[in-house]
Amino acid sequence: MKDVLTKVADVAVQRFGAEYVEARAQSLYKTMLTLKEGRVEAAKQGIENGVALRVLVNGAWGFASVGSLNIESLTEAVSDACRMAKTASSKLTAPIKLAEAKTVKDRVSVKPEKNPSEILMEEKIKTASAINKTALGYDKRVKSCTVDYLDLTGTSSFVNSEGTVIEQDKLYVWSRITASAVSNGVFTFSREEIGSTAGYELFDKETPEKIGITVAKRAAEQLEAKPPKGGTFPVVLGPEVVGVFVHEAFGHLAEADLALSGGVLAGNIGKKVASEVVTFYDDGTISGAFGSFKYDDEGVPAQKTLLIKDGVVVGLMHSRETARKFNVAPTGNARAENFRVEPIIRMRNTFMEPKDHSFEELIEGVKAGYYFKSFRGGQANLDGTFQVGVQEAYEIINGELGEPVRNASMSGNTLETLFKVDAVGKDFKLSSGRCGKGQTAFIGDGGPHIRVKEVVVGGSA
Amino acid sequence: MAVLNRDKMVGLAEKAVSTALQKGAAEAEAYVYEGQATNVSIERGQISKSSRIIDRGIGIRAVVNKAVGFAYTNIIEDHDAVENTIQRALNAAKASKPDPDWKGLPEKKPYTRVKENFDAKISELHSEDLVKVAASMLESASSISKRVFPIEGGAGAVYLSSSIANSSGVESFDKGTMMECSLAVVAKDGSTVTPVCFEFNAERNCNVDPEWVGKEAGRLALSALKTKRIETKTTKLVLTQFALQELLYFTLINAVKADNVQRDQSPFKGKIGEKVAPENVTIHDDGLLPGGLRTWAFDGEGVPQQKTAIIEKGVLRNFLYDNYTAKKEGKQSTGNASRAGYLSTPSVEATNFHILPGTTSAEQLMAEVDDGLLIYYLQGAHSSNPVSGEFSVVATPAWKIKKGETVHSTRGVMLAGNIFEVLKNVSIIASNERKMGQLVAPWILVENVKVIGK
Repeated sequence: MKDVLTKVADVAVQRFGAEYVEARAQSLYKTMLTLKEGRVEAAKQGIENGVALRVLVNGAWGFASVGSLNIESLTEAVSDACRMAKTASSKLTAPIKLAEAKTVKDRVSVKPEKNPSEILMEEKIKTASAINKTALGYDKRVKSCTVDYLDLTGTSSFVNSEGTVIEQDKLYVWSRITASAVSNGVFTFSREEIGSTAGYELFDKETPEKIGITVAKRAAEQLEAKPPKGGTFPVVLGPEVVGVFVHEAFGHLAEADLALSGGVLAGNIGKKVASEVVTFYDDGTISGAFGSFKYDDEGVPAQKTLLIKDGVVVGLMHSRETARKFNVAPTGNARAENFRVEPIIRMRNTFMEPKDHSFEELIEGVKAGYYFKSFRGGQANLDGTFQVGVQEAYEIINGELGEPVRNASMSGNTLETLFKVDAVGKDFKLSSGRCGKGQTAFIGDGGPHIRVKEVVVGGSA
Repeated sequence: MAVLNRDKMVGLAEKAVSTALQKGAAEAEAYVYEGQATNVSIERGQISKSSRIIDRGIGIRAVVNKAVGFAYTNIIEDHDAVENTIQRALNAAKASKPDPDWKGLPEKKPYTRVKENFDAKISELHSEDLVKVAASMLESASSISKRVFPIEGGAGAVYLSSSIANSSGVESFDKGTMMECSLAVVAKDGSTVTPVCFEFNAERNCNVDPEWVGKEAGRLALSALKTKRIETKTTKLVLTQFALQELLYFTLINAVKADNVQRDQSPFKGKIGEKVAPENVTIHDDGLLPGGLRTWAFDGEGVPQQKTAIIEKGVLRNFLYDNYTAKKEGKQSTGNASRAGYLSTPSVEATNFHILPGTTSAEQLMAEVDDGLLIYYLQGAHSSNPVSGEFSVVATPAWKIKKGETVHSTRGVMLAGNIFEVLKNVSIIASNERKMGQLVAPWILVENVKVIGK
């Protein structure tokens, strides 16, 4: 495969005068399952083989994707990409240039304890059925349970016109479990997501029983929960909510492409944007974590990137293109979901560094507020407005946990809110998730428990 | 690359079905898909990229002993790869568990001729043409004011086709086109930067209007410069299509899917024939709507798409069914099986979710609002409770309405409530209908929504 890709890259340079060419081939194998109340909706398997070709001609990008590994099709596609780049360059005012990256020649293999591609479909159905059985058996008010399962294995080959040649094994195991409960006209919904790049041994830690109970218990408990009061309140956030806050509210702003597109961080590098207890990382090197990999889809090694240190913005996440704009080294954040799309800046495992408070100390300081334990989703705008929907929450009254609260959400401006983080816990948890930015990326996020002096809480009561 | 013709696509699908039956499947279905897309992208205010993506594949459902197995591949030219895929679908079915509710694949039914979903001119567009569209959009946005800055966007042309064959006699082919252009901009004045304002135009033919998109995005951003905080209160909202699309997708549309109703995940369960909204609310799911972005002759299982009344004059009439959920209740599929290309099995989804327009113009509707908010972009609708319909989202920017006029923008306003209550509080439906993804709707005025300011 590598030789074919090298030949195709040569065509672009020699025949079309491309400044840069990269060819990325993948051959991936997927297994997917959806179980609804234990019924297997369909057991699914898929093969995806294809090549992405990206060229830089006259300072503009051309990109072509083909579902073929055949040299004639690839030569046609790369020629097409070069012609399109020339067309796109006609209105260019600022030609695109790339930051330097070291030439790499490497072969990366994964060594899972339990390789999902060697585990029978029957066994995977058994695991998913066990999750479902635990969830539905937990409480009779839990009426539905959906288990989605995915594993992906295969190889990705990367060649560029600078001499980099990388072959990388890919391995992902992922599952999302949702449950709903009904009682007296009240409907609740609960979700959980787990993932790993290590192997199917994920289910030895996240056992079907453990995960089934987590999902079902939350759906059942929410039946007795009340809606929150809307307004400004102090909150204590659990590691999962901290993770989604770091990812959504701050992380996206620290993606250099968004920072350059009018995001609020571009003008804040080197400046204090948060209280001193705030330190954030984006780390692609954590072994087995869902957002980890050795090389990104531009052939740049993944690294541990410091984003905020003691409240000061010290770095952004870069591709080779944005790194050049900022005159820094690329950080290995360019990722492409598959051969159909081009690499863009994505997070890996984004988290807040723990400090010294216990959970009790954090809630002690709150007279009337909320504890947001688990989230349902989050989103941010380039101006720094964020929203995080919360699926599990409790009142805090006079420093003690009170009654459960359902369908809360919190919002604010990221930079204002980061200054209001006044205490950081000593615990730590990293969760697995997926992030959408036109493409889907597998990511991790997390942190300790933290306390925020005030956020706007959305509630209908 | 030339597109695959009807005979080639249908031939592939039929061959796969007969091979699956020979290999021991009790029933089989093949879905052959082709998508070709050409795009020109704007990044950081300039046109700097062009791409062409060709994606083809086949997805096969094989049924063995009432258990469904599915496999797909994107290597369709290679006979062995397709054979292996068929075998994997069979293996997956054999590894799975029988489903007592499985009552067979859909039978053949006649298709209605769909209107305005294909424009041959789109297939002939080149990146040069799309560069012109994108450039026109950029110039229009900048012509509004020096304070308007385009960020990203682009122009694209898409050709899609699919063929479905199954062992119950379904044999189908349909092709369609789409063209779109979109632009995200901010406005800057001194140190004030607005949130991102976005506009787009998507059509099944090549008559998109890049100038309107550029100007409208610019106008919205400029009007967002003047911004003030608002107080927490219960107020009137004018919901534009942007807001409706976000809110409804994650709440109301879920509640009318038969799959969710059957699984106790919808508050509409058992409420067919009941009044769920005021008399002025009529909603159809119309898979045949001329020029609709989700208009096709047949759905993801080869069942004819159709027009289904969901809510008529405020009364809940029907749910949306695919073949499986329909047969479970002894009903007919409403043609609402949706697929993510060849990569997925079908699932229930709305086609063109059509809120029928009223007779009040958008201007008249605004004039009815003495005090309220005009809502465009929402954040966090995906974190709504998909079962209960409760939402808690952020609108940014939104515009304050006083005496029928927008007086200033506001940021980070939270809206909280329950979609089923919102539905009951619809007071006026305007006439300014537009298409946005699966939604076709005009602006809507709703009363009594809790708004949390700062």
